[in-house]
Amino acid sequence: MARAFLREPEGFVALLDDGERLVLSGLMQQTRVLLSPEIEPTGDAFDDLVASMGVSLDLADQGAAEPADADHRDPALDRLLPTAHRGDDEVAAEFRRLTEEGLRQRKSSNLDLAIDRIVAADEDRVVLDAAQAPAFLIALTDVRLLLGERMGMRTEEDAEELHAAMETIDDDDPLGYAMAWYDFLTWLQETLAHALMGDGDDDV
Amino acid sequence: MPTASLSLAPVEEEVTSVDEVVAPDLPWVTIVWNDPVNLMTYVTWVFETYFAYPRGKAEKLMMDVHVKGRAVVSNGPRESMERDAEALQGYGLWATFEKDD
Repeated sequence: MARAFLREPEGFVALLDDGERLVLSGLMQQTRVLLSPEIEPTGDAFDDLVASMGVSLDLADQGAAEPADADHRDPALDRLLPTAHRGDDEVAAEFRRLTEEGLRQRKSSNLDLAIDRIVAADEDRVVLDAAQAPAFLIALTDVRLLLGERMGMRTEEDAEELHAAMETIDDDDPLGYAMAWYDFLTWLQETLAHALMGDGDDDV
Repeated sequence: MPTASLSLAPVEEEVTSVDEVVAPDLPWVTIVWNDPVNLMTYVTWVFETYFAYPRGKAEKLMMDVHVKGRAVVSNGPRESMERDAEALQGYGLWATFEKDD
């Protein structure tokens, strides 16, 4: 049974059992695959910057190739990497061309770190230091965005309907399973955010 | 747009420079939109962490996003707003930038 993230002397610590860690890291892996950058991060910030600029100069990323790519774009990507300008498609496309590769790399790095921390758990203890906790928190956001999109949760109304549907859903309905994990991730993220903001010590 | 000019510069170049002069340097804004996934606590944390806004301001902006559906979270030159929008998208928030009309 899971215990929320709390601030302890060795860092931010949550207790997650084998099954919980397996599902959590699996969901993070799926998010990682979706977000995989064209060029994998090298670990060197400068090399990554150069690589990300290199991609934006690729002819395939420009001009006629762009609309065709957009048609095949996974809708979940539009949730994780949304349009940055509403009303001017040209500005939005240019912004995407300049930023998307870097965003994919940063999000992927967060997910890699989070997966590492889950795998490194000892006696169910997932331990994050002060630098790792924000990356883990952001990784949880991206996983929840992906899971929410896959369940059709795009508006507040969608979210309310989904939660209402849980009252009557069959036990073996995959949607119920997905929703239960979504709620679990929400709870876990909430406790880590509270702990990071310094007001989680009273939460159990 | 002027069609005649005393300048001897090539026409293309003239048009470009006129464009730049005419376009007023209005401040741009970064907007965060409400979504059903991001938690109120998390959004507050992002505003505190990225902008270094104090808790009260971060919470007020978060509530504006939640209740009004959107909030202007920063303003300034376009380049800064593009940087803010990119950073906030990195946090998973639904951020856009636009000219403040």
